Amino acid sequence: MLALALAAVFYAPRHPAHASPSRPLGSAVLVDARVPGTSAALAQGRTLFDENCSSCHGTQAQGSSLAPNLRGLGSATVDLWVSSGWMPLANPGVQPARKPSHFTPSQTLGIARYVASLAPGGLAIPTVDLKGASSAEGFSVFALNCAPCHTITGAGDALSNGIVAPPLHGVTGTQIEEAVRTGPGNMPRFSTFTVSKQQLADVVDYVTRYVEHPDSPGGGLTLGGVGPVAEGFVGLFAGVGLCVLIALWIGDRNESSGESEPGHGDGSHDEGPGTETPEREVAHA
Amino acid sequence: MPEAPGTDGAGNEAGTGGAGHSGHPGASVPTGAPQFQVAAKNPRRVEGAVAVAFLASLLAFAAFGAAFWVAASSWVLGVTLGVALSAFGFALVAWGKYLMPQGPFEEPRPQMATTPAEKQEFVADFATRGKVAVERRGVLVKLMGAAGAVLGVVLAFPLIRSLGPRPNQEQSLYHTKWRKGAKLTSIEGRAVRVDDIEIGGIITVFPPDDLGGAFSQTVLIRVQQTGDIVTEPGRETWGPHGYLAFSKVCTHAGCPVGLYEELTQQLLCPCHQSLFDIGTGAMPVFGPAPRPLPQLPLYVDSKGYLRAQADYDEPIGPGFWYRGGSNGGPQ
Amino acid sequence: MIDSLFSWIDDRVALSRSGRHLLDKIFPDHWSFMIGEIALYSFIVLMLTGVFLTLYFVPSSTPVVYHGVYAPLRGQTVSAAFDSTVNLSFQVRGGLLMRQMHHWAANIFVGAIVVHMLRVFFTGAFRRPREANWMLGTTLLILAIFNGFLGYSLPDDLISGTGIRIAFSIMESIPFVGTYLAYFLFGGSFPGTAIIPRFFILHVLVLPLLIIGLLAGHLGMLVKHKHAQFPGKGARDDNVVGSPLWPTYAAKAGGFFFLTTGVTALLGAIVQINPIWQYGQYYAYKVSYAVQPDWYMGWLDGALRVMPSWELNLPGHMIPTVFFPAVLLPGLTFNLIYAWPFIEAKLSGDTAEHHLLERPRDKPLRTAIGAAVFAFYFVLFGASATDVLANYLSLSLNVVLWAFRILCIVVPIVVFPVTYKICLELRATPGAGQRKRHNLVVRTADGGYTTIAAEEYPGYVKAELEPVALDQVDLVSAMAADADQGTEGVYQIPRDYR
Repeated sequence: MLALALAAVFYAPRHPAHASPSRPLGSAVLVDARVPGTSAALAQGRTLFDENCSSCHGTQAQGSSLAPNLRGLGSATVDLWVSSGWMPLANPGVQPARKPSHFTPSQTLGIARYVASLAPGGLAIPTVDLKGASSAEGFSVFALNCAPCHTITGAGDALSNGIVAPPLHGVTGTQIEEAVRTGPGNMPRFSTFTVSKQQLADVVDYVTRYVEHPDSPGGGLTLGGVGPVAEGFVGLFAGVGLCVLIALWIGDRNESSGESEPGHGDGSHDEGPGTETPEREVAHA
Repeated sequence: MPEAPGTDGAGNEAGTGGAGHSGHPGASVPTGAPQFQVAAKNPRRVEGAVAVAFLASLLAFAAFGAAFWVAASSWVLGVTLGVALSAFGFALVAWGKYLMPQGPFEEPRPQMATTPAEKQEFVADFATRGKVAVERRGVLVKLMGAAGAVLGVVLAFPLIRSLGPRPNQEQSLYHTKWRKGAKLTSIEGRAVRVDDIEIGGIITVFPPDDLGGAFSQTVLIRVQQTGDIVTEPGRETWGPHGYLAFSKVCTHAGCPVGLYEELTQQLLCPCHQSLFDIGTGAMPVFGPAPRPLPQLPLYVDSKGYLRAQADYDEPIGPGFWYRGGSNGGPQ
Repeated sequence: MIDSLFSWIDDRVALSRSGRHLLDKIFPDHWSFMIGEIALYSFIVLMLTGVFLTLYFVPSSTPVVYHGVYAPLRGQTVSAAFDSTVNLSFQVRGGLLMRQMHHWAANIFVGAIVVHMLRVFFTGAFRRPREANWMLGTTLLILAIFNGFLGYSLPDDLISGTGIRIAFSIMESIPFVGTYLAYFLFGGSFPGTAIIPRFFILHVLVLPLLIIGLLAGHLGMLVKHKHAQFPGKGARDDNVVGSPLWPTYAAKAGGFFFLTTGVTALLGAIVQINPIWQYGQYYAYKVSYAVQPDWYMGWLDGALRVMPSWELNLPGHMIPTVFFPAVLLPGLTFNLIYAWPFIEAKLSGDTAEHHLLERPRDKPLRTAIGAAVFAFYFVLFGASATDVLANYLSLSLNVVLWAFRILCIVVPIVVFPVTYKICLELRATPGAGQRKRHNLVVRTADGGYTTIAAEEYPGYVKAELEPVALDQVDLVSAMAADADQGTEGVYQIPRDYR
């Protein structure tokens, strides 16, 4: 039961009632043109949905006690969740991690289009257009809107209560646009007011060209991009550690207790705080 | 330079002899004693190793120079330099550790503690001279002390008069730039209208005259489609059309609280992980933050723009000594 | 030429009159005495690389538009400090290497100070007459931490700017004077434009001068006292046994400097540190997750994280929650460290002068206290990475934080008795920690079995040599005689290696 409740928390996409048709997101382009043989693709998507999704989401994607209603969500949401491998779920109760998708891109499109065809509304799969995109503007928008959770290096990090802001390595431009606009799971959704269409293209440009290749300008191993904690461990264990090992080689390695040589020294060093224990006497005896 | 101190400066190791010092090995330590022998079992081999290391460092230093000349990448520079320095250091240490008399040698160490007689003599000298110097000149001593005291006081003046304004002169501790009617404005300078943000959306806003302000930064979140949203009694009109606005400055240590977990409707601070529940007025529910994020009262004007009803009703951000109590404003 | 130059100088400073004494100065050879040298050499690396960086760094918050080679920043408005730091990384030959070496050297510098301090503590080297030097060293640690934080802040990047914001809040939290201190340091309210130039002059002039001065005092007192030593053959309170400064120790220490520098250069070459071009310019309203200070401030950050949300409300005033972990805790910590030599002298009643060190096991109480206190700070250090650990271990952040809240109390309580017991056991075990000798099982003529210890294997010489008083011998002729013989040396292990 707990797992189900958690699953509901993690996966519940917004109720379709939330998905106001008046949302100013009309700039996205429908995918129909990209899928040849529309009816055949729909039929394939339906088969795949029935085989892989309907046991939880219901045969008409109407949802069940196990999984939310998908009707009216639009193809972008479905495409994002399926193409990133979050769905089908590996482990209910844990926020899904990115994994290789179960389906080929065209199968994924078929499922998305089939679900979108069941009810109107929602966001269609966006077309990423990087013509004229500025990575500098994208960097700036990324730092304000994405870095707070995903970190400025895109490494991702743990939020509260087991929620994770996943790493951004390996994501596609389409997935970035879908996630920003639909807000999967606990991610907020960003309207075109907050992040304009051009700014979103800029962010995609920045993430795919720089965040996913953090080592491109040089400087050496990147230590996972998690900041000074990892650097501190390297500094202490590789830096100081190596120097101490060198010192071990240079110097002597004995520190006589003097036990074999009673009578050296002045003996006063044997008296310290609270060390006059019986064991001490035994050791000397 | 006939009086030059002999061979002292002539060579490296010969220098240790010291002019005029007639070496006289102690009777118990003959010249051939093991203490004087080198530590290496096979000095020839160590010599070879040291030579190889010096040679390696020479080549690596040259490689570093070449890499620098052609502006090679950082890691090429670093590796050649690191290898050169390490090989040079290794050679020096091996030379010192294996090819020099292994010892051990000793020298005497005086006790630090002085005898009572030594102390007494010194203190007596000090006191007597001082007494003679200032005797019958008590007025001068007092004047010197007074002048010194004034100097000490005025030395602090630059610190308190010119380093910065006094905090109670600047009201930024207690007030932000939010005013009645200030439009909620994005960092790009666009005012937010009521249908600009989606449910589950978040945006950082400022008063129009303080874009990017460190203290006026505010997060605007939309949690539902229509209707006022009430976080606490007394805030019935603060959240129109499902919009809530909270100070983005954490009440713990002042970091920007920008991590919005949309399903659980909680804000997380990235620095020390304080968690604020926005539905209950950004009450801290986890972590070290002691107070809720102050809420900015909003209203929607006739053209649909979101505006502030007033400034925050309490000082935003982390606590400080003069912040009286939990609601404290300026005294 | 060199002769005449030396003569000219010597006639004016009379170096040769005390020369022999200087050259004969003895340094004990134990490896643990060289940890402080790591800190010293790192400091030299810091100064050399730091001077390089100041040639290009512009300590100013003035907004400029970035026009350098890193495309994602081009056209962004950044501070002159950030702009110059990125430019010196990418457009100055060797600049990135120097900056990374500088940062790594800082991490190693403070780390070596801490390890050195642990060595001094656990061997009782802080006892009379070295109490003052212990306090001087503690001051050096504090200055090193402060200067590290200042340097971390100078590039004005997103991560370090967040750190400065927290520093402002911490200063504000001090009762009575806090807001004044914060406003005076920042030249007004946060962030202002004064902080970068002020941090710069503190970082490159004021604190380095203080560190150099105190370092001179630290080493001067070391020369005056002569180095403490472990008891061993011929080592007494009234002598010092080891290698002479010239030439043996000079070669070893000089070589160690180059090795330390080499390690720093290799780290600077191979491992990226503080890639500020990825972080971008700091703006007060921008932030990244996974922000932490450099490791030596980590224990303070960890303390801020695990501290419960207690705030003290007084009539008209308050003591904010950050005061307790970020002001009170370090205050108590360093005062305890300052006072420890006197606390221990009071407890033990031992106020005599000591130059022979103690093995940690021989002082179980001190060792246990030290280990427990160190464990406490180590847990706090770990707590500064709660979010990163939660992410890597796939645990809930809340669970990890609660774990650290409990651990920082439980771990010291467990470490104390365990350390104490280990000390007692070690002391009661003859030959503990020393090289083992094989046991041979021998069958006797009448069919019984006995066990005897095996003989030492060849080359394992136990003989410990008597130290030779250098003022009694002529090292030169001895060395010359050794060279004349041209024979192979007899390998002796210099000190007792039991």
